[in-house]
Amino acid sequence: MARVFFSLSAIILVGLLVASVPPDGQVVSPSPEVSRLPALEEAGLRTLQARYKALSKQLSQHMPHQPYILVDTARNHLYIKRQQEVVLDAIASTGSGTILDKPGDGDSQWVFDTPRGEFLVQSKLTNPVWVKPDWAFIEEGLMVPKNPADRVEQGVLGEYALGFGKGYFIHGTLYTRLLGKNVTHGCIRLNDGDLKSVYQLARVGTPIMIF
Amino acid sequence: MSLCAFLLLLLSFASSGWAGEVETFPNLDLNDPRSLQEASRVLEAEIKLAARPQTYVLVDLVSRTIQIKGRGIELHRIPIVTWSAGSLRDLKDIHRLIARPPVVRRKIDPAAAVEQEPISLDDMPVEYTLSFAPPMTIDVVPAAGPHLLQWIASSVKTWWRDLKRWGGSLLTDQSATQGPHLKISVSVENAQSLAWSLVDGMAFVIRRPNDK
Repeated sequence: MARVFFSLSAIILVGLLVASVPPDGQVVSPSPEVSRLPALEEAGLRTLQARYKALSKQLSQHMPHQPYILVDTARNHLYIKRQQEVVLDAIASTGSGTILDKPGDGDSQWVFDTPRGEFLVQSKLTNPVWVKPDWAFIEEGLMVPKNPADRVEQGVLGEYALGFGKGYFIHGTLYTRLLGKNVTHGCIRLNDGDLKSVYQLARVGTPIMIF
Repeated sequence: MSLCAFLLLLLSFASSGWAGEVETFPNLDLNDPRSLQEASRVLEAEIKLAARPQTYVLVDLVSRTIQIKGRGIELHRIPIVTWSAGSLRDLKDIHRLIARPPVVRRKIDPAAAVEQEPISLDDMPVEYTLSFAPPMTIDVVPAAGPHLLQWIASSVKTWWRDLKRWGGSLLTDQSATQGPHLKISVSVENAQSLAWSLVDGMAFVIRRPNDK
């Protein structure tokens, strides 16, 4: 009985296959209505993929291709990175976030933050001298000197300094025990060895990313 | 025939060349059209922001991370524990932070003999609301963790604020002026770290998932 059933099934199946083959023996493609939709979807997907890839490439063109300096002001670390590779990891000191009233200037204040954002190395100095600004005298309760020569202090910034605008520098320090803490007036302090490495690796124009 | 072969060869070179470049969203499903569209929208916004010397924030709800970025590079990453949003549809612009969370700064007294303590991460708020232009608000709240009491206090405050916001929206059409609303919970340390890193006018971009 089962043999008869299987034989009949096989005959019907072969018959259906023969009927579906066109007279000239070619294989019929699915009807256009059925095939067009997946093809369109496929084309749309490829377009989206191509757009995504093009945009990714466009974004990567904005990334610095030379080493850049990264400063984490919350954790007081300075890194030199080449793309994702960390070339140098240094403990730093950054801005204290404290404020100081400007005498005789209403409600005006100095805010001792390290600025956040993107900057460039604008200058590279060896054996820099510190020209003390007004706040350095006022916070110590001293009179601001009239003679500019009285503002100059030597040997407190280390052997090198890298300026990144508006009076902010990456420089050395005498107070190495305070590295890792937020104690500066906005500048970024490093120990002598790390400062030398940064000086050697960075050029004028090297980006500095600070967050 | 030879032209087709040449084009195929060219295509394979092009795709292999791309594979070697930086992958912006490593876990992106390249076969999902909606994910591709969203990733491309975010990339377009990032290209605008990366063209200028600034840092910006990508809130990636897909990978559950907050990324501080500059020039398209990820500078710092903060994991999101949980998030919720009223509607994701309107979270598609570049939003600028109106003001960073308030920080209590210590004032230097030149007459005092004792030096003022600098501010630190511990001085940063753990729970705050960020307001943006065009309108959007992000509530940053601490996730439940080792600081249980802090979390309970914060949850009560958030609940009360949500209730007031909801009540206000019933009386007036506040939702139209406040814009979309996102609530993000991160660890206490990361909430403080984010508050520290934000600056006034900082740009935020949100990457939305598909499934909401």
